[in-house]
Amino acid sequence: MKFGKKNYWLYILPAILLIGTFVYVPIIQNFYFSLFKMNSYTDEKIFVGLSHYVRIFKDDVFYTSLKNNITYALISVICQVGLGTVLAILIESKLTGRLRNFYRNVLFMPSLISVTAVGLLWYFIYNPNVGMLNALLTKIGLENLTHAWLAEPNVAIYSIIAMSQWQYTGYIMVLILVAIQKIPQELFEAAEIDGANGIQKSLFVIIPNIKEMLLVTSVITVIGAFKLFTEIYVMTMGGPYNTTQVLGTYLYQSAFMFDEMGYASAIAVIIFTITFTASIIQIRMAKSGKG
Amino acid sequence: MKKNTAWKILINMFFLVLVAMIIYPMFWLILNSLKSNAELYDNSLAFPIKALWGNYKRAWDVGLSTYFFNSILISSITIAATVFLGAACAYGLVRSKSKYKDIIFFMILGGLLLSPQVALISLYKLLAAFNMYNTRWALIIPYIAFRLPFAIFLMRSYFLSFPIELEEAAYIDGYSTFQTFIKIVLPISRPILSSTAIMTAIFVWNEFLFALVFIEDKSKMTVPIGLSNFKDALSTDWTVLLAGIVISSIPMLILYLLMQKNFIKALAAGSVKG
Amino acid sequence: MKRNSILLLVVVMVLSLFLTACGSAEPEAAQPSDSTEPAEVAEPTAEDPITLKFLHRWPDELYDGFFNDMAREYETANPGIIIDVQAIANDPFKEKIKVVLGTDEAPDVFFTWPGEFTNRFIRAGKVMDLTDVMMKDNYIDNYVASQMEPFTVDGKIYGAPVRVDGKIFVYNKEMFAQAGVEIPETWEEFVSVCEQLDAAGIVPIAFGNQAPWAVSHYIGTLNQKIVGEPIHAAYDPAVGDFSDPGFVTALEEFERIVPYFNKNTNAIKHSEARENWMASKAAMMYIEIVEIPEITRNGPAEIQDNYGVFEFPEYVGGNGDQTLLTGYPEGFVVSNTTKHPEEAIAFFKYITGKEVGLKEANAVGWLNGAKGIAKKGEISDSLYENTQIIYNAGGLVNWLDSGMHAKVTNEYLTDLQMLIDGLLTPQEVIDNVQEVATEVTSEF
Repeated sequence: MKFGKKNYWLYILPAILLIGTFVYVPIIQNFYFSLFKMNSYTDEKIFVGLSHYVRIFKDDVFYTSLKNNITYALISVICQVGLGTVLAILIESKLTGRLRNFYRNVLFMPSLISVTAVGLLWYFIYNPNVGMLNALLTKIGLENLTHAWLAEPNVAIYSIIAMSQWQYTGYIMVLILVAIQKIPQELFEAAEIDGANGIQKSLFVIIPNIKEMLLVTSVITVIGAFKLFTEIYVMTMGGPYNTTQVLGTYLYQSAFMFDEMGYASAIAVIIFTITFTASIIQIRMAKSGKG
Repeated sequence: MKKNTAWKILINMFFLVLVAMIIYPMFWLILNSLKSNAELYDNSLAFPIKALWGNYKRAWDVGLSTYFFNSILISSITIAATVFLGAACAYGLVRSKSKYKDIIFFMILGGLLLSPQVALISLYKLLAAFNMYNTRWALIIPYIAFRLPFAIFLMRSYFLSFPIELEEAAYIDGYSTFQTFIKIVLPISRPILSSTAIMTAIFVWNEFLFALVFIEDKSKMTVPIGLSNFKDALSTDWTVLLAGIVISSIPMLILYLLMQKNFIKALAAGSVKG
Repeated sequence: MKRNSILLLVVVMVLSLFLTACGSAEPEAAQPSDSTEPAEVAEPTAEDPITLKFLHRWPDELYDGFFNDMAREYETANPGIIIDVQAIANDPFKEKIKVVLGTDEAPDVFFTWPGEFTNRFIRAGKVMDLTDVMMKDNYIDNYVASQMEPFTVDGKIYGAPVRVDGKIFVYNKEMFAQAGVEIPETWEEFVSVCEQLDAAGIVPIAFGNQAPWAVSHYIGTLNQKIVGEPIHAAYDPAVGDFSDPGFVTALEEFERIVPYFNKNTNAIKHSEARENWMASKAAMMYIEIVEIPEITRNGPAEIQDNYGVFEFPEYVGGNGDQTLLTGYPEGFVVSNTTKHPEEAIAFFKYITGKEVGLKEANAVGWLNGAKGIAKKGEISDSLYENTQIIYNAGGLVNWLDSGMHAKVTNEYLTDLQMLIDGLLTPQEVIDNVQEVATEVTSEF
C-alpha cells in the first residue's frame, strides 16, 4: 500500500461524531427551539414563529443585559489589553530589574483561580458589613466612600467588572509579553542605533510588531464578555432588579426560572450572532496579521 | 543615568502597588479563613486570635473532598480523550488525501466559534433524551466535544510542519499507520499535547454553566458548583466557605508552579480564555 | 489489514464508551426502565435493591443530616430499599426542580411549595394524584385536616406537609422596654412603634432582601389584610386581575415602614439579617415560625430569654379577614413518573408521618402535618406555643412568591426592590405587575 493512499477516516471519525452530535446538533436545534414556546418539564411545544424575536427587541431587561455585556467588553478591552500592554512593555523593559518575574507571576496569579472562587471571594470583599473593601475604606478615614457594592444599582455592575479586571489583566499581560519576546532582537538594536528612547521604542518597534496579538486579545476579551455568566450567577444573580443582568444569566433565568425555554433559545441566538461575528473578525485579523 | 534610576524607582513603586492590590485580597482571604465567624463579624481586617485549621477540615469534609474527586476524574477523562481523539483527527486531516478534508476541517473550525451557552438548552434536552442527565458523562462528553475543535486546530498546525520522512522511515521498518501514529508521531508531539492538556484542564476546572445544569447529585458535582453551593449550604458560616475557596484554588497554582513554561506556552498558543 | 483492525477497535471502543454512557448512565440505579409491565418489577431483595430518589431543599448539615438519618432508619426497617437523599438550597431549588423534572432522573419523592409553584407541575402531569391512597381506609385522617388543604387542588390530593409554617414578628424585649413601647395591636400602632424605636436610636426592623422573596412576605400579608378576597383572582394565572385599589394601598402602607429597616436591605441575605437581629442590632424582624429553632440553637445567650413573638398587626378597615395567617406548609409529593409507585408512596407516608414527625419536632424543631404530635410536654414549649398560632389562625394565606405564576412573581419582586430604593411608586409597581399578569393570562 502506497503512503498517502491510506484510509484516515477512522482517525477523523470519532472526533467528527462527537463534535457533530454535541456541538452542531444542539446549536442548530437551538434555532429551531427559538420558534416554540416550551418549558423544561414538559415535552409540549407550541409554535410561535418569530414572536420571541419581536419580544426580545421590546424587552427592557434584554437591553439592560446587552448594555452590561457591552460595558463589560469595553472596560475589559481598555483595562486588560490597554493597561496589559503598558505593563508588559514595562516588565520587558530593563526598568523593572530583577523583580520582573516576581511581578509577572503575581499579576498572573488571579487568573489561575477559578472564576467561581474569585467570584465568591469578591462577594465577601464587597459585603457591606464585614467585607474587606468597606473595612479598609473606613480604616483609612474614607467612610463616605463605602457602598453596598453589589446592591446599589449604579455601582453593582461596575463592582463586578472591576473584579474581572483584577482577575484577567495579568493574564492578558502575559499573552502580550510572549508576543513581545518574539520580536527579533535586531529590531531593538536598530532602533537604539537610531537613538530611540524607551517610549519611541515602544511606539515604533513593539506596538507594530505585536499588532496581531493585540487584535487577538481584544477579540477574545470581547467574546469572553459575551460569555459572561459565572461571575454574575455567583455574586448577584442579576440583581438588584436586573441591573447586573447579562445575556448569559438572562438566558439561564428565562429557561429555568420563568419556564420560557423558547425565549431563552432566542436569547441564545443573539449571543450566537454576536460571538460568531466576533470570532470571524478574529480569524480574519489573525490571517491578515500574518500577511 | 540618574534619570534612569528615578524612573526605575517610580516604575517599581507602581508595580509594588499593583502587587499589593493583587496580594492583599488573597491575604485577607487566608486570614479570615482561619477565624471564627464571630471574629470575622467583629473585624475582618484583624488577625485571627488563634488559627482555626478546623475550618479547612470542615470545608473538606462538608463536600469539597467529593467535588475534588469529581473534578479530577472528569478532567482526567476529558483531557485524555480530547488529546487522543484530537491528535488522531488532526493527524488524519493532515495526512489524508481525501477531497473532503478541507470541508471537514472547516466544520471543525466552525465548532471553535460556537459559544457553549448557545447549546445549553438543546444539550440539556439531548442529554435528558440519552439518559445521560445527572451522570458524569453529561459533563465529560460535552466537554470533550467542545474542546476538540480547539485541540484539533492547535495540533493540526503542529502536524503540518511535521517531517513526513520520519513516518516513511517507520513504514519501511514495517510499522502500521496506527503504530506510527502511536510510537512516532505522538511522542514527538509531546509539547503540543501538553499545551492541549493544560488548556483542557483549565477549562474543566473553571466550567460552571454545564456543570450547573447537567448535574444535580451532590455526589457528582465538580468543584466550581460545589463551591457555589456552599454559599447556600453553609448559610452564614462564612469562614468555612472562605477556607473552601482557598483549598479549591490550590491545584491550579501548583500546576502552574510545576509547569510554568509549558503553561504560558499553552496560553499563548491558545489565546482563548478558559 | 492488521493496522486497520486495531484502528477499528479504537473506534469501536470510543463508540461503545459513548453508548454505555447513553445506556446505563447510572449503574447503581439500574432499573428495568423499559418495562411498563408492573409484573416485571420483581420484589425487592437484598441483591437487587430498589433505589428511591428523595429530594429535599435543606443542604445545611443539621437538616440534611436529619433526613439522611430518617432515610437510613427506613432502609433498615425495609431491606431492599435504598433511599438516595439529595438536597438543593432554597433559591437554586426553584430552578433545579424544573430541570430535574424534565428528565428521567426525576426524584421519586420530592419537596415542593403548594400553590401555583406546584400547580404547574400538576398540570404538566409530573405529580402523582394521591387521592385514592389518602381515601383508602381514611388514611388522610392521620394528618391535620387544615394542613392538607393546601395540597388539595380541584378536589384531588397531591402531597402532605414536611413542616407547617406561619409568619410572625419576633421582637427584642429589652429594646422595646428601652423605647417604652408595647406590642402593637394595629398597623397604625405598629408604625408608631417603629417611629418611637427609631427616635430612641434603635434600628426598628431587621430586613435582608437580597433574595427578594423576603419582601414578598410583607406584601403578601398586607395584600391579604387590605385587599381581601380579590387576591385569589389576582394571583390565579388564568385571571390575573390586579385592578383592586387595595393592591396600591398595600404598597403605600408598606412604604411607610421602609425608612425603619436597617441599611442596605438589598445587599443583605435574610439569614444575615436574622443574625443581626439575634445580635441585638435591631428590635424586630418578620420571620417564619420554622426559623425560631435557629434562634434557640444559634442565637447568643442574651437573646434567649429576651425575645417574644407577636402576630402581624390588624389592619383596621381592611377588606381581608384579619384572623388569617400568612404562611403555608411546605411538603413532599410523589413523582408521577416514578418506576416504583408502591415503594415511593410507602416512603412518602413514612417521611410525612407521625414517627418521623415526632423525631423532626425534637431534632430540628419543625412540625410536620401528622396528627397527634403537637402535645404539650412532648415537644418544646416554644414550638408548642408557636404551633398554636398556626392552628388557631382563621386560615392560612399562601406565600406570595409561590402562589403566583413565576413571571408575575419575578416582576412583582423585582419592582418591590425598586420601590424600597424609591425608584418606583406603588402605582407603577402595580401597573407593571398587571401588564405581566395580563400577558401570562393571555398565554394561559
